[in-house]
Amino acid sequence: MTDFDRLLRVLADNHTEFILVGGVAAAAHGSARATYDIDIVYARTRENVERLVSALRPLEPYLRGAPPGLPFSWESGTILRGLNFTLTTGAGDIDLLGEITGGGTYDDLVADTEVIEVFGVKCFCLSLERLIAVKRAAGRPKDLETIAELEAIAEERKLV
Amino acid sequence: MSRIGREPLGSSLEPDPVIEAYKKDVDRTLLRENLKLTPDQRLRKLQSFMKFIHEIRGSARRRP
Repeated sequence: MTDFDRLLRVLADNHTEFILVGGVAAAAHGSARATYDIDIVYARTRENVERLVSALRPLEPYLRGAPPGLPFSWESGTILRGLNFTLTTGAGDIDLLGEITGGGTYDDLVADTEVIEVFGVKCFCLSLERLIAVKRAAGRPKDLETIAELEAIAEERKLV
Repeated sequence: MSRIGREPLGSSLEPDPVIEAYKKDVDRTLLRENLKLTPDQRLRKLQSFMKFIHEIRGSARRRP
């Protein structure tokens, strides 16, 4: 089971620059849908990647679904040579995204974030409007129900 | 960060007939209850729900 509290705390404690996206961001906006991992878009600067690597190292990240024994070295060079990583850790599953379809990078998205405080941690969360736009742009059939719910949340907010 | 002074993204999105069809099945009562909570309370609720699911699955696996 993914420990959202612990994962967000280790990232914040190490001053990692990241944006909450995906199911956890949707839940923060009011979605009632279950989600099994945390998706974050991380800043791709060398300094931030080093902070990210340092933050998650104690949780022994490994490629999710990969066979045991696969050579995978958790270091900044690995992250900088790749882009998006789906990981399993000692605190559960986390997706590290250097870029998202229809949204781009950390720098492209950061203007459309809100600062939220969750589990005693302040972090950037992608705005509801941008989350909807990103999911629409991704065009994945599996997201249709999620988009419908997010748009319903946007409508309900306007009624409040 | 905010989009103060910029056009809201939501207003630039045209209604999609497929999404509108899915929207009819959204449980708005549940959403209204969630919107009364803070983001922190919403994520704690999600964490608690996921813990419950995890325990249910664990007990199902342990059944002889």
